[in-house]
Amino acid sequence: MSAIVSIESTRKPSLRDWLKTLTFYDLLVGMKATLTHLLHYKPITLQYPHEKRILPDNYRGMLALLRYDDGTEKCVGCDLCEAACPSRVIRVVSAEVPGEPTKRYAKEYYMDMTRCLFCGLCVDACPVDALGMTREFEWAVYDKRQLHLNKQQLLAIGDRSYPVREKRLELQHPNVAFFNVAFKNLPQKEN
Amino acid sequence: MEIGLRLAVSLAQIAAVMGIVMLTVMVLTLAERKVLGWMQDRMGPMEVGPYGILQPIADGLKLFFKEDIIPSGANKFLFTLAPILALVPAMIGFAVIPFGPSMTIEMFGMQIKPFVISDINIGILYILAFASIGAYGIILGGWASNSKYSLLGGLRSAAQVISYELNVGLAIVGVILLSGSLSLVKITEAQAGGFWHWFILSMPFPQIFAFVVYVISAVAETNRVPFDLPEAESELVAGFFTEYSGMRFAFFFIAEYANMILVSCVAAALFLGGWNAPYPGTILAYIGLEHIAWMENVVWFAVKVYCFLFLFFWLRATLPRLRYDQLMRFGWKVMLPIALGNIVLTAIAAYFFPR
Repeated sequence: MSAIVSIESTRKPSLRDWLKTLTFYDLLVGMKATLTHLLHYKPITLQYPHEKRILPDNYRGMLALLRYDDGTEKCVGCDLCEAACPSRVIRVVSAEVPGEPTKRYAKEYYMDMTRCLFCGLCVDACPVDALGMTREFEWAVYDKRQLHLNKQQLLAIGDRSYPVREKRLELQHPNVAFFNVAFKNLPQKEN
Repeated sequence: MEIGLRLAVSLAQIAAVMGIVMLTVMVLTLAERKVLGWMQDRMGPMEVGPYGILQPIADGLKLFFKEDIIPSGANKFLFTLAPILALVPAMIGFAVIPFGPSMTIEMFGMQIKPFVISDINIGILYILAFASIGAYGIILGGWASNSKYSLLGGLRSAAQVISYELNVGLAIVGVILLSGSLSLVKITEAQAGGFWHWFILSMPFPQIFAFVVYVISAVAETNRVPFDLPEAESELVAGFFTEYSGMRFAFFFIAEYANMILVSCVAAALFLGGWNAPYPGTILAYIGLEHIAWMENVVWFAVKVYCFLFLFFWLRATLPRLRYDQLMRFGWKVMLPIALGNIVLTAIAAYFFPR
């Protein structure tokens, strides 16, 4: 209240201050501001379930495991994502590909999404780009056990979010960085 | 037979007024949220029905079906009594409000005043008396809840209502001096004939200062922002109705809005000419439709009341809450001297220039 402010201030109130107090000047300024907003009504509300905002390109949503275009999993079971994760979301059980001792894959792959903070460090850490962040964010569930995802579920998320898949590394440009991939067209290391 | 008929007519009038008041309360709950939203660049409720217009019904259903909890250690009798004690005085005040012109109609061989339930000759005193009883509902509810937040809210409410009721009472003394009556019908009739006869502007002494004091005190008395200390949500959770739920909470809620409507009706009747149009007479009577001229009067009364209610929302959207000492100092050191000075000046003016 302006009346109180002028009583409390140490400076001796001038005639102008008194006039302002008597006419509720400060109050009227505020009232004018709210009325202006009422008359020039431009809501910034987004009616969420009916209309959704446009997500930015680098949006970090639900995590997913990806496949190559022939359907094989990209993941090589290297455990780097598990090491990179600050919240210990990921658990990888790595194993050799049966019959191919030079290749490994993730036999089991679990994510506890209740702990995930969507920092994207696992995606950065992955040497074969097997992890991706989708634009899904509507993952509210009634039972939090539904947020403990296994490999099949993560692959399914990847399948529906990344319809365009990469070729296998050996079929891409020969100079592409590779990791733990047996290239049949290149000379094998003798052992 | 005669008494039975009179009783039936009175009950019908009461039911009609109660219905209108409850309907207005429903409209107000939605209007407040909508207006607040619009002033804050939001939309307000939008989900229930087109543009959210069915929101009050959804709120009412929700409150009706909610569990009714009495906290352990609460005084059960007073805890149950308090919401009723808050609601009944807020509703009962409408008995003396004139909603339209004070004409009488002949029906079943009796004289009936259709727009006022009971034109008692101390109408405004009656409203003030029941408004003070309404404070008991809040204080007792706060005390009976066995909760520190409720108790603090109730105590604040007690101090606030006592300080500001005084100002309401003193602010309307000027109007009573000018009109020479305590009956709201007579006070309204004294303001007939154009807006320059309304007591807010009328000679010999315009009651504009009294009106400002009344408006501020009315806001404080209904515990609305910026004087909502009894329910200050940032300090006291919800103040005196922290422990209330379900229909008991709804009673307090309805009481608050009914009180808002009541003080708006009183302000319209005392200062803004009540059902009188801002020009002499009515247009409908002028063009020869005298039998429906009351419609115009009723519409003018509704317009004044709704403008006043809009002011409540407007203040709520704009102003922050006062501190407790500011509230008390403002009430006793600013409002009270203005109200007293207004009485003195009005009395002198009314003595030298009798109407």
